Order: sequence, then C-alpha cells, then structure tokens
Amino acid sequence: MSGFAHILAQSRKELIQFRRDKLSVRLAFLLPVMALLMYGFATRLEAKNIPIAIFNFDNSKLSREYIDRIFATTDFKPSLYTGSDITYPLDNEEAKASIVILPDFSRNVLSGKTAKIEILIDGSDINNARIIKNSFFALTYFFLTANHLYQPQTIIEPVSRIWFNPGRKESLFIVPGAIAVVSWIFPALLAAFALVREKEDGTILLVYTTSLKAYELILGKILAYFIVGFLEFTLVLLIAIVIFKLELIGNIFLFSLNSIFFILTGVAFGVLIGTRTNNQMAALQAVGPVGFLGNMLLSGFIYPVHNILYPISLLSYLVPSRYFIEALRNFFLRGDSISNHLGITLFLFCQSLFLIFVSIKNMQNMQLKDN
Amino acid sequence: MLYSNFFPLLKKEFKQLLRNRQLLYFLLFIPLLQQVMYCLALDPQVKNLNLGIIDYCNTDITRELTAYLTNNEAFLLKFHKNNELELINKIKNGDLDVGIIINPDFERNLKANKKSSIQVLIDGVDANSANIASGYIGQLIYNFSQLLNPYLPKQAPVIKNEATFLYNPGLISAWFFSPGVIGMVLTIIGILVSSSSLLREREIGTLDQLLMAPVTTGEILMAKLIPLIIVLFINVIIGLSIGFIFFKVPFKGSFIDFVIVTFIAIIIVLSIGITLATVSNNQRQAMLMSFFISLPLMQLSGAIAPLESIPEPFQTLTYFDPLRYYVICIKAVLLKGADLSILWPQILPQLIMAVILITLSSHKFRKQLN
Repeated sequence: MSGFAHILAQSRKELIQFRRDKLSVRLAFLLPVMALLMYGFATRLEAKNIPIAIFNFDNSKLSREYIDRIFATTDFKPSLYTGSDITYPLDNEEAKASIVILPDFSRNVLSGKTAKIEILIDGSDINNARIIKNSFFALTYFFLTANHLYQPQTIIEPVSRIWFNPGRKESLFIVPGAIAVVSWIFPALLAAFALVREKEDGTILLVYTTSLKAYELILGKILAYFIVGFLEFTLVLLIAIVIFKLELIGNIFLFSLNSIFFILTGVAFGVLIGTRTNNQMAALQAVGPVGFLGNMLLSGFIYPVHNILYPISLLSYLVPSRYFIEALRNFFLRGDSISNHLGITLFLFCQSLFLIFVSIKNMQNMQLKDN
Repeated sequence: MLYSNFFPLLKKEFKQLLRNRQLLYFLLFIPLLQQVMYCLALDPQVKNLNLGIIDYCNTDITRELTAYLTNNEAFLLKFHKNNELELINKIKNGDLDVGIIINPDFERNLKANKKSSIQVLIDGVDANSANIASGYIGQLIYNFSQLLNPYLPKQAPVIKNEATFLYNPGLISAWFFSPGVIGMVLTIIGILVSSSSLLREREIGTLDQLLMAPVTTGEILMAKLIPLIIVLFINVIIGLSIGFIFFKVPFKGSFIDFVIVTFIAIIIVLSIGITLATVSNNQRQAMLMSFFISLPLMQLSGAIAPLESIPEPFQTLTYFDPLRYYVICIKAVLLKGADLSILWPQILPQLIMAVILITLSSHKFRKQLN
C-alpha cells in the first residue's frame, strides 16, 4: 500500500472507533452547540436592570422627578430595600448603588445653589460600577437640560455614525468569537484523546510493529479528526447563522480557506499534545488550559486584545483564534477586503503546518529506528 | 470494629491520591495560571482605542482639538493623514476603532458663531466599546468647546453628582476577577478530579475488590471524599494566596466564614463529580461531561461578567447555579467583609443544593456498587 492509502485507512479506522462510543459522539456535537448558545445568549457586557436603592430625604416634586428619570430607562430598576441604612443594601447584594438625595435638594436647586446627589457604588463589580457612574452623570446632565435648569452652549457638535452594527447588538460581537472558541477546543480535545488512548490501551505498540510510518499515522489521525472538527464547525456555524441571524457578507472562498486552516490548527495541536502525553488526564491538562485560557482570554473574544497587559499580550499573537475571530467578524459584519484576509490565512496555514511537522517528529522519535 | 476498618481505608485513599502526580499540577499550576491570566489579560475598561483623524481644516484650533482628543487613556492616535479612502478602509479592516473627519470650514463656522460639526465614524462590531467610545468622544468635544469659548456665560450646573466607589475604590480589575477565578477553578477541578478518581478505580477494577472488604458503601464513599475535600481546600487556599500576594486582593471578612462557604461549595462540586462518574462508562466520557457541566456553571456564575448583564431567561437560570452563590459569598467576605448574618440568603440555596446533590450522588453510587 502506498502512503496515501495508509493515511486513508488509518483515518477510517479512527472514525469507526470514534463512532462506537455513542455517548462521546453525542457529546462531541452537543458540547459545541451548548457552548455556542451559552456564549451567544448568556454572555453580554452591557448590564440592564441594575438594582438601585433610593434614599430620598428631600421628597419634593423635583426630587421625585429626578427619581422617575432614573428608572425611565431599562438600565436601572428599584431595589426592594426600603429601610434607611444607606450601605445596608450594598452589603447585602440588594442593590449595586445607593442614591442619596439630601433634604435641602430642591431648596438649593431652586435658589440657584449647587445641590449634591450622593452616589454610593458597589465597586466590587467593576464593570457595573463604571456603567453606574457614567450613566448617572449623563442622567443628571439630561435632567438639568430637560428641566431648563442648565443651558450649555455647544458650538461643536459631533455627528456620530456607527458602522457595521448600527443596532449595536452585542450578540453580533460575541457569536463570531464563540464560533471560533468552540470549533478549536473540541476537535483538539478529541484528537488528543484519540492518540493517547492508543498509548493507554497499548495498541500503539502494535502500530509500531506494522509498516505504518510515523507521518502516515499522524496524518491519518489528523484527517479523521479534521473531518469530525469540520462537521462540528459546520453545525455550529449553521446554528449561529439561523439563531443569531448572522449575514454572510464576506468572500466565501477565503472564509472557507481560513476555516479549514483554523480547524487544522486545533486538530494538529491536539495530536501534538497526544504525542507528548501518556494518559487522557494529562492530555486534558494540556489542551484544556491552552484551549480555554488562550482562546478565550487572549483572542479578543470578550474584551479587546489591546487591553491585555504587555508580556502576556505577546502570547496572544500565537493564538490562532485571535486571527480567526477577526476573519469571522470580517465575514459576518464588516465585509472583507482580500488584503486583510491573506495575513490571517497565511498565519493559520503556517501554524498548522508547523504543528503537524512537530507531531510527526515526536512520533518518529518514539518509534525504533530502522537500521 | 467499624472504625478500625474505616481508618485504614481512609489512609489508603490518601496515599493513592497523593501518589498521583497530576494532582500536584491541578493543585498548584491551574490556580496560578488561571489567577494570573484572568487578572492580567482581562480588563473590561475601554481604553487605548485606535483613533484616526483627518483634519482638512488644519489650523491651530483643530490641532488643539486633535491633541485634546488623544491626550487621554481612551484614545491612541494611529492615523493622521488627509486620505479619506484609507481611513475608511482602516476602519473596515478593524485597524481603527474610531475615525474623525474635521471639515475645511470648521474654523470659519466657529468664527462666524455658527455650529461646527465634525464627523465621527465608529466601528460598531464591538457594541460595548462602540457605545463607550461614542460617549467619550461626545464628552471630550463638549469639554473642548467649553474651553474654547471663554466668553460663553459660565454657569455651574445646579445639580452635582458625587460618586463614591465602596469596597474597591480604585476599581482594580484583579479584585473583581480573583475571587471569581477561585470559584471557577474549584468547579472545574473538583468535578474533574472526583469523577476521574472514581472512574479510574472502576477501570482498573480495584473498586470490586473494595466491595469485598468489610466496610459499608457509605464508608467507601466517605473514605474517598475526605481526602478530596482536603485537597480541594488546599487548592482554594492556593488561589486565595496568589490573589493576596500578587494582586493585593484584600481579605476583610473572617476566615471561618470563608471556610464555611468554601466547604459547602466543595461538597457541591464533589457530589456533581460523583454523579458524573456513575453515569459515564469511561474517562473520556466523564471528561467531556464535566466540560458540559462546568461551562454553563461558570458562564452563569457572574465570575467573568456581571450577573446583571446576562439577558433574561438566562438570568433566571443563574439562580440554579451553585457557583453564583459561592462567587457572591467569597467576593462579599473578601472585599466587603461580610459575615454569615448578612450572607445567609446566599448560603441557604447553596445548602439546599448541597443536600440534594449529596443525597442523589450517594444514592447513585450505592446503587452502582450493589
């Protein structure tokens, strides 16, 4: 048999073996879908309905109007707390901020003096804390101008246009990232498990005794799990397009090319770990952190890449998702220019080639040399 | 008689667990890695946005405006040429987050006391950053126009907000992530270690031998659980120390309260792990299943992003997530110095879940053994 036939036979054997474990097969497809839905539906940055406790010691028409203004949007909702201890609701998780309106509020405002509104914010939730502070400044400003208490002279007016995502839907930002994260981790895990299982069961020794060469074994495994990975990716992509109403506006050929190389980087990484580790637990320990920490934290999936601190930010250049997430966002949101994609394609291609090469080298070192 | 059999069994479990080299990795490396990565790599603050400016007017005022817009943490000037096509392309490619175009008649309008407008183009792909960027630009331009025109009637606004941040006055992001990561690491590792240690014994076949020993199934389970509880507890303490040493996360509450809430959380994750072990046939299944469980537990816990930002049906689901309560509890103990009298509404649901899960898992375990 030629090398190519060996590779095909090896990957066929691998797929048959994979299909036998019904629960694993089901999980292999259920897990990415569940992860996608989890990220797509439940991961947001913009907070809504933040509970706010109000302490209105003034109780005038003006202060009541101000309070109505607070709850006029969906940003905030009133806290259930009705006592008079201003830090109590913050200590008890009943509110994220306490607003204190002092007794002389309306008297001061009406006589033209500056009235203070005290805002105590729970800083342990940093994201919410910033949102609350900024919203209240905007809200007070709006309240003042709406009630003709303050007429700022604006001579420069910004005319803003928000491109690509005019409705500012966060799902359109999160979902492409989620597609990348799940279609890297799960194929990588499965590929690593497959190779390590041969070691655990001892069947790898049988492989060594055959005429199968190291590169044939590695490429066979990669081919098998590339097929599995590509099916997972297609499933996740279809579900994302249908549920989150993504529009395909980029170049489909380039996108497919990027997808293929991206999945290849995942599978090749899994196989590489498989050659280096000796049991499934160890394989998981290597793929898990790289997959979850690398792909989620260093790829710009949730928070922008340029926020990562310096020495760690260098690592992010090695993370394939960083590039593929850009490709996905280009494809679904921005519409891409070819020049922008070639760098991504080139990186993913080179990385998968490198990983495959190292896996084959590792495998060769494990086998006895032919003399 | 009963005790003399239980303690040797416990000793055996301890030895078996400590011989496992991977445990060391789980105990030391994972908390270290996760703490460092989360606290250093994740920063929810919107800053260093790439800004491009086209200044067709190019006078003193517009140069001053350019300096004013970039002289802050929020924006970095990455493009400053008079090439509209290039600017637009750079925004399309994602190289620039915000583009500003100042028209040639900007100064003329200002001098004629007309309103001058400037065009602001924002890449809306990252909806959250786009929102904040748009707000920043509006604020900066407003402040600039106040500076520009000293002859405008100066009038202080009659209502002033005074915001105070409690518990984390510097809004340090590590203080937010570190306690959450302790909970996440406990969940991942607790479920994995307990399910795989049970499954290993079943795969090797030594579980059958244990059955023949003169101990009850309850004792077998207890002997398995006690070393795991201790090991996971050490894991939590390591995560806590890393946060304390590297990121100076405060510990305002009492250590006893911390131990109590952590103990309940450990019981919960161990029970989940045991239940998983009883429904899976091999280690691969158990590992995939443990991902299947820990992922939503982490996503719905509020450890990464605030609970209030989770959209409705899912926000209700968070009430069924034991990790949600644990993360709230340790944040409150560490940052707010809360005690049990305040935390009981968070502990009660955890306790109920612990009782249900431990009953379920020990029932499943016994059924499988008998």
